[in-house]
Amino acid sequence: MADKAEYKKPKRVNYKKQKQLNRSKAGNGLLFFLMFICGIFMALPLIMIVNNALKPLDEIFQYPPKIFVKNPTTENFSDLFILMNDSWVPFSRYILNTILITAGGTVGHVIVASFAAYPLAKHNFPGKKIIFSLVVLSMMFSYNVTQIPNYMIVTWLGMNNTYLAVILPPWQYGMGLYLMKQFMEQIPNSLLESARLDGASEIKTFWTMVMPNVKPAWLTLAIFQFQQMWAQTGNQFLRSEELKPLQYALQQITAGGTARAGAAAAVSFVIAAIPIAFFLICQSNVIETMTTSGMKD
Amino acid sequence: MNENKKRKMTLATKRSIVGLLFVSPWLIGFLVFYVRSLIMSVQFSLSTVSVNTASGGYQLEFLGIKNFIYAFTEHASFSQTLVTSLQDILIDVPLIVFFSLFMAMLLNKKFTGRTLIRAIFFLPVIMNSEAITSAIDAVRELMMGGLSATSGAMADAAESGVNMDYYISLFKELALPDSLLDYIVGAVSRINDIISASGVQIVIFIAALQSIPSSLYEVAKIEGATGYETFWKVTFPMVMPHIITNIVYTVVDSFVNSEIVDMAYETAFRQQNWGLSAAMSLITTTIVCLILGIVCGFIQKRTFYYN
Repeated sequence: MADKAEYKKPKRVNYKKQKQLNRSKAGNGLLFFLMFICGIFMALPLIMIVNNALKPLDEIFQYPPKIFVKNPTTENFSDLFILMNDSWVPFSRYILNTILITAGGTVGHVIVASFAAYPLAKHNFPGKKIIFSLVVLSMMFSYNVTQIPNYMIVTWLGMNNTYLAVILPPWQYGMGLYLMKQFMEQIPNSLLESARLDGASEIKTFWTMVMPNVKPAWLTLAIFQFQQMWAQTGNQFLRSEELKPLQYALQQITAGGTARAGAAAAVSFVIAAIPIAFFLICQSNVIETMTTSGMKD
Repeated sequence: MNENKKRKMTLATKRSIVGLLFVSPWLIGFLVFYVRSLIMSVQFSLSTVSVNTASGGYQLEFLGIKNFIYAFTEHASFSQTLVTSLQDILIDVPLIVFFSLFMAMLLNKKFTGRTLIRAIFFLPVIMNSEAITSAIDAVRELMMGGLSATSGAMADAAESGVNMDYYISLFKELALPDSLLDYIVGAVSRINDIISASGVQIVIFIAALQSIPSSLYEVAKIEGATGYETFWKVTFPMVMPHIITNIVYTVVDSFVNSEIVDMAYETAFRQQNWGLSAAMSLITTTIVCLILGIVCGFIQKRTFYYN
């Protein structure tokens, strides 16, 4: 009996101590403080952009510049719309183009990359190693350097001056494939094996077993791809005005100089806000997958 | 026997056909868009490229490896830039990977305002897009008036009011080896670049941490492991495959943004010397691939896979 009591005592103390260590408010506070400091440096440009978008013209030109706005107005946004109503093609057309390009590029890339990553991670077939080393090699080639061959290939395919020229090449980015493969390798083989034993076809295994298990991975990939597609100006390939994306229109406005400073500030707000919103939505879903990840055994 | 063997074969071939079918949408696009441009780049690097301004199109004149020899022996600054770019990559990569793993572990904890802070750490990735940087530049220029260049330089000088040389000489007194000192000074002076280059890596690590089964942590806790032990025995082995992913991404990212690529770009579009530019990018691509192969092979051996 005495033995048991002695044995129990230190354990209880230990447990209590650990609990305090994990849940202490001071620890959380320190954590928050640390990230707050790092975060401030990163957030400054955004705070500046938001405030600039709300500044009246005289405050934008104030020297030395102030970060925070004194008399917020929505004048810049109405300026932007007035400017846009005078444009060659309606403003909504630019928005439509961007939505088409971003959605097409993002959805297509996530699906194509996941499809290709699944056998590379979980199947054996001839040429697997060669394909995989090609993926890594393709990532090394800077886009700037292959610009000329790229242009010639797109022309050769007859896709010059169409949406396809901007949407299709990003489907084959190597990084997404690499990322998906790394995550799919961690799925237990037994899980896939049991699906096959129950008579699921490969496609069904892919959609019902593999994809839900790597949800954090493909949401992350969607974030990156969305960001890249959103930033596409399509300068090389899209020459008709009615095909050009929002980014192009906005670049033209910011190039407008002093007279359009207000509209330019509003524009940079719009460009920055939407990828951030998309990021927030996807990230909160990444957290939700915590419940499904219990499936891994 | 024979029949049995035959059936086995068909299953294996069936599997590989299914595998190829899954890869095919990616592979076709890849062959069309990328392989051809790789081949063209190699072609360019072995010849002089001249453009027909009158009729359009271009002509290749075969040169052999003269472009490569020129880049190494005669070009004013190629070798030097190559070495410094590679040095920068080697300094940045370990720092970025460790910083982002550390940050991801902090951001993976539960605290109020977590989503917001995660978004803030992802901001630099969004801010790097061309339109936003040009918008920020435009606004800055407007605020500074025509004096933008000079006032920018002045602000830089004023900001670093700390006399770096003094501190460096102070550390030299400590008899630290010069190379170590260079590394630390390089790391410290680029801290802003390092933080802003680790947005993507943090997100990849968060996804990796999220896909670690919580049962493992439970077991570790029940067995009485401390936080330190849990990190080295559970977290670290489980994120190991993604450390490779992040190394690959970081190397590619810092390589694509490095001076040597800028130089190849300038050579192509300013000096119109496409052949030399293609040779330059081939040289750097080969070297970076070699480094990557060595590093990844080294880590892959020590990587723990769940199965």
